[in-house]
Amino acid sequence: MPDVSKMKKPDVKLVLLGDMNVGKTSLLHRYMERKFKDTISTVGGAFFLKQWGPYHISIWDTAGREQFHGLGSMYCRGAAAVILTYDVTNWQSLAELEERFLSLTDTANHDCIYALVGNKADLTDPKAHLCQDSGVLPEDRRTECEEERTEPQVLSTCPTPPASPASLSGLLLHKQVAREDAVALYGRILRYKGLDEKSSLPADKMCFETSAKTGYNVDALFETLFDLVLPSILRKRHEDQASPTVDLEDCREGSGKRVRASCC
Amino acid sequence: MSVKAFELVPAVERHLLMGDKARINIECIECCGKHLYVGTNDCFVHHFLLDEVPSPKGKPSYSAQKLLHKYLGLKKPVAELRAASALERLIVLCDGVVFLVDMVTLESVPSAAGGGAKIRGVTTFCVNENPVNGDPFCVEMGVLSSRRRTVQIYMVYEDRVQLVKEVNTPEQPCAVSLDGYFLCLALTTQYVILNYNTGASQDLFPYNSEERRPIVKRISREEFLLAAPGGLGMFANAEGASQRAPVSWSEGVIAAAVCFPYVVALDENFVTIHSMLDQQLKQTLSFRDGHVLQDFEGKVMLASTKAVYVLVPLPLERQIQDLLASHRVEEALVLTEGAQRNIPKDKFQVLHRRILQQAGFIKFGQLQFLEAKEHFRKGQLDVRELISLYPLLLPASSSFTRCHPPLHEFADLNHLAQGDQDKVLRCKKFLISYLGEVRGTDAVNGCREDVDTALLKLYAEQDHDSLLDLVASDNCCVLADSVPWLEKYHKCVCCRVGSPLQGFSPAWGGFQEGMIFMFYSSADLIPLVRLLLLTGVHIFTRRPACKGQPEVDPDQVIAYLGKHSQALLLYLEHLVLERKIQKERFHTHLAVLYLEKVVLLLAESPRDEGRLTRAREKLQAMLRESSLYRVKFLENLLLERATLHGKLEEHDEALRILVHELRDFPSAEAFCVWASSGRDAAYQRRLFHLLLAVYLDGAPPGEARAPHGDGSEMEMAAVDLLNRHGEAFDAVRVLRMLPESWSLQLLRPFLNRAVRASMHASRTAKIALGLARSENVQLLHDRLKERRKPIFVSEKKGCHLCHNTFSEPDVVCLPGGVPVHVHCAAQRVRDSPTKRQLANSSNHT
Ligand SMILES: Nc1nc2c(ncn2[C@@H]2O[C@H](COP(=O)(O)OP(=O)(O)O)[C@@H](O)[C@H]2O)c(=O)[nH]1
Ligand SMILES: [Mg+2]
Repeated sequence: MPDVSKMKKPDVKLVLLGDMNVGKTSLLHRYMERKFKDTISTVGGAFFLKQWGPYHISIWDTAGREQFHGLGSMYCRGAAAVILTYDVTNWQSLAELEERFLSLTDTANHDCIYALVGNKADLTDPKAHLCQDSGVLPEDRRTECEEERTEPQVLSTCPTPPASPASLSGLLLHKQVAREDAVALYGRILRYKGLDEKSSLPADKMCFETSAKTGYNVDALFETLFDLVLPSILRKRHEDQASPTVDLEDCREGSGKRVRASCC
Repeated sequence: MSVKAFELVPAVERHLLMGDKARINIECIECCGKHLYVGTNDCFVHHFLLDEVPSPKGKPSYSAQKLLHKYLGLKKPVAELRAASALERLIVLCDGVVFLVDMVTLESVPSAAGGGAKIRGVTTFCVNENPVNGDPFCVEMGVLSSRRRTVQIYMVYEDRVQLVKEVNTPEQPCAVSLDGYFLCLALTTQYVILNYNTGASQDLFPYNSEERRPIVKRISREEFLLAAPGGLGMFANAEGASQRAPVSWSEGVIAAAVCFPYVVALDENFVTIHSMLDQQLKQTLSFRDGHVLQDFEGKVMLASTKAVYVLVPLPLERQIQDLLASHRVEEALVLTEGAQRNIPKDKFQVLHRRILQQAGFIKFGQLQFLEAKEHFRKGQLDVRELISLYPLLLPASSSFTRCHPPLHEFADLNHLAQGDQDKVLRCKKFLISYLGEVRGTDAVNGCREDVDTALLKLYAEQDHDSLLDLVASDNCCVLADSVPWLEKYHKCVCCRVGSPLQGFSPAWGGFQEGMIFMFYSSADLIPLVRLLLLTGVHIFTRRPACKGQPEVDPDQVIAYLGKHSQALLLYLEHLVLERKIQKERFHTHLAVLYLEKVVLLLAESPRDEGRLTRAREKLQAMLRESSLYRVKFLENLLLERATLHGKLEEHDEALRILVHELRDFPSAEAFCVWASSGRDAAYQRRLFHLLLAVYLDGAPPGEARAPHGDGSEMEMAAVDLLNRHGEAFDAVRVLRMLPESWSLQLLRPFLNRAVRASMHASRTAKIALGLARSENVQLLHDRLKERRKPIFVSEKKGCHLCHNTFSEPDVVCLPGGVPVHVHCAAQRVRDSPTKRQLANSSNHT
């Protein structure tokens, strides 16, 4: 169903970045519509509006295709959080984040938060495959997973997952990206941003492994981020109320404080 | 997923422009109100008057009337035309030169003294539709020139143009749009936003302008539509961010315009129409040789190389209804809500509500109840629209008629379900839950009767648990409809309460599964409850024995009615007298109730003789006819009767009952004590004498004197009484009353006490007498003394007894010459123990 509330002005923006096919659109679908469905390669970009308490959060799904790469900076402009997504079965997708996508986030807010998300964990991790700890009811999920499993898979990089959980472990794909690799990249992202590791959000908290297919960790990902951007919303609301024009003095003072806060 | 959002209507046909000259093409158009200007490649400007022709079928059409055409004299195509209607000028770009032309005569405007009216070397220009400078008699213009990396801002006046600003750009600009201070520019390799006031520049995204023709189109305040790589239509605001998701065009788009909520784009063969609300392609029109697409004050116009067209939007409501007709509910709602800003508020609300209601019924028809409910709720549906789908649910008295035009296509539930009983059932379940939810809310203001009655009927029909809750709570069920319905579904036997009380309508009691329930509207509560209690018992008595249903247990009913004696009486009468149930319990209970009633009436003052007689008759009849009641149980009540007699001061009757009928001597004694409490000694004495007399009367000398007979029992009681309460009797009178034959021994305690008491009394009296005498002497003495000296009384002096000051000169002197208030002295005398004693004993002496 198309989002009818698009006309409302969102309070804050979240952006999903990452190579094509890593599952950005699927993650967003899973979270917003509670299901995993066939996606078509995203054209240009799309966004959803999520009501989170009294706030409206816009979540932008971007196109990973090279062709649309140039639009990334525009989508990231003013973003309060960026979700850098890779595919755990594809090392290149992680490398691309650093090579192509990280620089797009230059236009994001100065206090933007970054999450690193390894998707398709169901292909490598039995836990994610059976999906024991996501927000959906276990029963629903089980039948859903089973349905999905019987569908023919048309993924070139991922062979059809096994039909029975018993034989699962033998047929799991090789996990090309270990969690440590993601944690290391997170550290490099902070360095790229000139942020101090100690005063920033810990890698532990900001590196996720998810499965859009089973729902594993998907709610946790989005909800963690929503909670983290709340201060940003409040600040923005406050600013909007205080003055519709930008006060340069104020800005300088604000950023000065921020630097001070982050170095001690 | 297509919608018919626009219709392509010819405006200026080929023959009006160029006749059959094949090489003449349209280059540009401008429309300003009814005035249409067309620039051609042979350096002509044509001026038309464009009229919308109203047509009976609602299909729009236009008629164009040619006013003038003018050769501009440059032999080059007219590249761009812009009207500045306040100045009555057309801004023309032709052969790299911008100049002004009179809107009416199409004559070139000569340069004013002091300033030129021409700009040379121009590749393209744009007009600022949202200028910061508010002067209505000048137009702000952004100009791009060939071979220079600058944008120039000009002010255009009636007869001159004036350069006001020049901003450098990093690359050669090739397309421009202007809003406020913001220039949106297509450079060779990217789009940027440039603030010409501050010089601040914001990169948007890369775009190869040499490969594909860029588009920069201002669509609203500080928002632009841009052609992006991959055939996207991207939105960007002045801050350089996107607030809408892009639409996906073909790669070859040459022009775009916005007609809310649609984005219209033109490529070589088609006009495509996307919704800005959901980014979907909604309509495609085939259009050959498309050349120009522009919107003029909301009117979208198109030109091929040979003719001009108007893209007429279909009325929004039509579009929405079309969507609804094909059950595309979500799209219809998106379109409706998207149009909010373009429709006056009150009109929008009406429209929105109606669409929501229709959407709700579509979802309802698809049995998607959750969505249906949400739409109904948001659309503030009159619930009766929904109820009226269900045959017979609305009360006959309801004034409801369905809204017109209808909100849905269903005649009724059966039509909707096409005989599928499961569907019918699900719809009913839905209505139950829906009505249950709305009935307490404001949504049903003005139709509570209809809603409650419908719900009651559904509950009854579906054997729903909440039926009792509904009737037990404050509700507005219509009696005339509910009763037959409930009876039909064997939910209860209803007993109508006539309306002896004014102004209270839906009141009735009903019965189900051993419980009483009732309907009421809260204002009638108290009179109703009383009425129901009196007549409610009919529920039990008039209820025919139903087959299959278990018989009501009379004991339960009685326990319940026990709290309401009048109803209980009626019910017992029903059991005992009408149904002739031979149970001792019921008979006794009834007899007791009769008796109580009689006693109660007896105690009333003044007595209602009529009622009393009737009550007595009933009691007597009962006592006569029935042989089942327990006599003993009735006897117990004599005690109460005696008490009542006592209250009426009919002591002899009371004592007679106690002694002769109950033979309860301790009670008789207690009665005397109780009846005389708070009275003086003489009163008590009279009572005790009365009791003694009753005892002695019961045992007249010479009658049967068996040791355990009546007489001796009474005698013993008399003796005990005397011995116990001797002090209360007048011994002399007692001695006179007592039979000769009684032995002195028997009465010794009494006599002892009597003698002692009389001795005591005489001695106390003597002492009191002595004291009084001495007081008298003392007073005489004081009086003699006080006569000789003055007694001072002033307002400041206090009385010794009450310590208040004196306000009057009258005082009393106590012994010793102490002045006190008159009333204080009197009080003291009254309270003095000697005086009291004296008063008491006075008659002894
Ligand atoms: N097994 C598995 N497949 C996934 C998952 N998420 C996405 N996919 C598949 O990966 C492909 C690309 O997904 P999509 O969401 O379009 O990726 P995007 O290009 O990043 O938006 C699709 O075929 C999805 O079915 C996942 O969590 N597990
Ligand atoms: Mg995608």
